[in-house]
Amino acid sequence: MKLKAVGFTIGAAFGFIIGWARLTDYDVVRDMLLLRHPDVFLLMMSAMVTAAIGARLLRALHVRSVLDATPIAWTTQPPQRKHVAGSVLFGIGWSLAGTCPGPVAAQLGRGQFAALFTIGGLLAGVFLHDRLRVRRKAQIPRTTGQQTTAVAGL
Amino acid sequence: MEGILATRAPWYIAGPLIGALVVLLLWLANKPFGALGGYIEFEEWVARSRRDLGWRPLFIAGVVAGGLLSALTSTGWRPTLTYGSFDVVFGSALWVKAVVLFSAGLLIGLGGRMAGGCTSGHGICGMSLGSPASMVCTATFMATAVMCALALAWMSGA
Repeated sequence: MKLKAVGFTIGAAFGFIIGWARLTDYDVVRDMLLLRHPDVFLLMMSAMVTAAIGARLLRALHVRSVLDATPIAWTTQPPQRKHVAGSVLFGIGWSLAGTCPGPVAAQLGRGQFAALFTIGGLLAGVFLHDRLRVRRKAQIPRTTGQQTTAVAGL
Repeated sequence: MEGILATRAPWYIAGPLIGALVVLLLWLANKPFGALGGYIEFEEWVARSRRDLGWRPLFIAGVVAGGLLSALTSTGWRPTLTYGSFDVVFGSALWVKAVVLFSAGLLIGLGGRMAGGCTSGHGICGMSLGSPASMVCTATFMATAVMCALALAWMSGA
């Protein structure tokens, strides 16, 4: 319950900043991808640098998480073929829609209702992935490493 | 304060604030930041009878609420179906918009699910945590999106 409240609150702050920085505007994203303005690249890089410093500080100081008192830690993955193939599809979709999973939700909140089409497609895409995987699993029984829920992140 | 909120936030304010949210989520809940997971957990809850909705769909609900707040503190809430120069590039017919955006969303959902992350999950959080997979993903979707946007601009002439 507390985790959900934290999720909602951090999400709300994220959505507010996305809207405030106009990352919800098709033209802001388009001008970035057409390399006309560097500001969204700079925004992403400064976010990344801030997060990199903060996360390493938390780990170096052996800070424990507020909600469950676990030591702050994370795991990383080596790159695989699925990362490249998936990211190519993602990149095509991103440039066509002029938005991605975070900003499209903020678009909806701002009353840009074209976002409903994108969100519908996004959920259908996730569903399609799971259908394809279920079928693949059925064809090749007993594969190693049972992965049930892969949460986006790293 | 009202004056600051009415105009667009500069990158050097919005960027570090988003970075701080990544750190805050790590500190409070020890969870990696990322938007795509909210859609994945929602889909699992609807289509695969996942028992608990999870916190990530609530994160996305928060993003919707935050977007609404950002409209209220600047230009006001103005519902619209127009979508900037998308309407020039693809035309403003509603069915075209529905087909293009749904198809684009499908690629985002399918591709993001395959890659295990999106612009925030891999591009900001994963990169900051030094994940090699995230670096490959970010380089790949950035390069693909830039090439695709340039090709589209060249074809449409807009």
